[in-house]
Amino acid sequence: MNAHPTREADFDLYALGALEGDEKLALELHLAECAQCARKLAEARGRIAMLALAAPRVEPSPAVKHRLMAQVRADAEARTSASVAPASSRLPQSREHAPGFFDRWRTAIVVPAFALLAIATIWLWSQNRKLDNELAYLHLQMKVQKSLAQEAQDVASLVESRDTVTVPLAQQPGMPAGSAQVMYNAKMGMLMYEGEIAPAPPAKSYQLWVVPADGKPISAGVFSGRPDHWMMKMPPGVEPREFAVSLEPAGGMPQPTGPMVLIGRA
Amino acid sequence: MSPESRTEQRASDAALIARIVRRDQAALAELYDRYACMLSSVLNRILRDTQVAEEILQDIFFQLWRNPSRFDPARGSLPGWLMVIARHRAISQLRRHNPAAGDELAEAAVVSTFNIESAAAQQQLLGRVRSALETLPAEQRAAIELAYFEGMSHSEIARHTGDPLGTVKTRLRSAVETLKRNLHAQAASTT
Repeated sequence: MNAHPTREADFDLYALGALEGDEKLALELHLAECAQCARKLAEARGRIAMLALAAPRVEPSPAVKHRLMAQVRADAEARTSASVAPASSRLPQSREHAPGFFDRWRTAIVVPAFALLAIATIWLWSQNRKLDNELAYLHLQMKVQKSLAQEAQDVASLVESRDTVTVPLAQQPGMPAGSAQVMYNAKMGMLMYEGEIAPAPPAKSYQLWVVPADGKPISAGVFSGRPDHWMMKMPPGVEPREFAVSLEPAGGMPQPTGPMVLIGRA
Repeated sequence: MSPESRTEQRASDAALIARIVRRDQAALAELYDRYACMLSSVLNRILRDTQVAEEILQDIFFQLWRNPSRFDPARGSLPGWLMVIARHRAISQLRRHNPAAGDELAEAAVVSTFNIESAAAQQQLLGRVRSALETLPAEQRAAIELAYFEGMSHSEIARHTGDPLGTVKTRLRSAVETLKRNLHAQAASTT
């Protein structure tokens, strides 16, 4: 066995992918033979992996989970049908008596023919199930595409409508740098937010509010700060006085509690 | 998140993996809810392409569904393991290598003392990681980010920044040592 690495940081540098050439090779040769150092590398991997948390938060689109679960369901059904097939392919037991002329024929031709028929039936059945699963998956995909198309259509309707107001939101003194705008249509009950704010501090989120002429502010989305864009349905008929973005505890609050970062008068 | 859901009893990652082995789709959905955002963030940061990031994200969880036993809870932390695989797949994609790369790491042990099974714990650790990074001098932090998010080796960072190779090596070594010290110090102060 070659020597233990003299510097503990080598494990982290290896996990980071920075080590190269002879240094990398020497460590790999040693790791193949040393359980103690392999354990240190596993710890370094765990530590370095946490750097992922420094990435700005990006929520995946809900469509990803829909697609994943459709794929999982199709896979589960395909596995079920595959495991059912061998059980149903068992052939009936032959009668127990001395084999005569016809028995020999049965053995030679009929039994293999039945076996082939059974196999063909099972194969066709499993193909049918597979196609059913694929069809269900495509159907789900179509639904997702339809919902995306609907969203695009909603955006177009909102932008083109004469009743839509566009409100720029201005940065408030002493607050994180950012700018945004809200397009709002009270009749359609639709709102679209587009903006960019410096990432929210740890354990904090930004929250958009529609402040009506009368009544309490209505939450219109929680986000963590970066280029953001979304559209949402609002209760129709709400006449806004202003729109505001506040800084709230992570995950948002039912009513604003933190400082206002951006404000725009409707 | 409501206070009720913060305090509700949560299944551990190991219990959810055991349920996935028994083909429980709800368990996979729960793990997805737990870690998808974290993985999506790192994939997007590396790839800067939402569509490709989402394809890889979906595939990582689908592979977890197909082969849950490739993750051995006795050998380490699930989020750490998922993040190692996500990062390698993203960097491999970025460099136009084999898009299924990261698979060779599927058996890799990843030990983590950080428990981030709840959203609150993830938030807390996020604060610790960011604060640990902020304590680094700017050039060390930049070197760490080039290595982690761009997948650059020592010599690639040297070429990218125009700094001598030796300087880059010293910088990265100091950075990982400081990070390790700070993360452990913060962990100790919060326990």
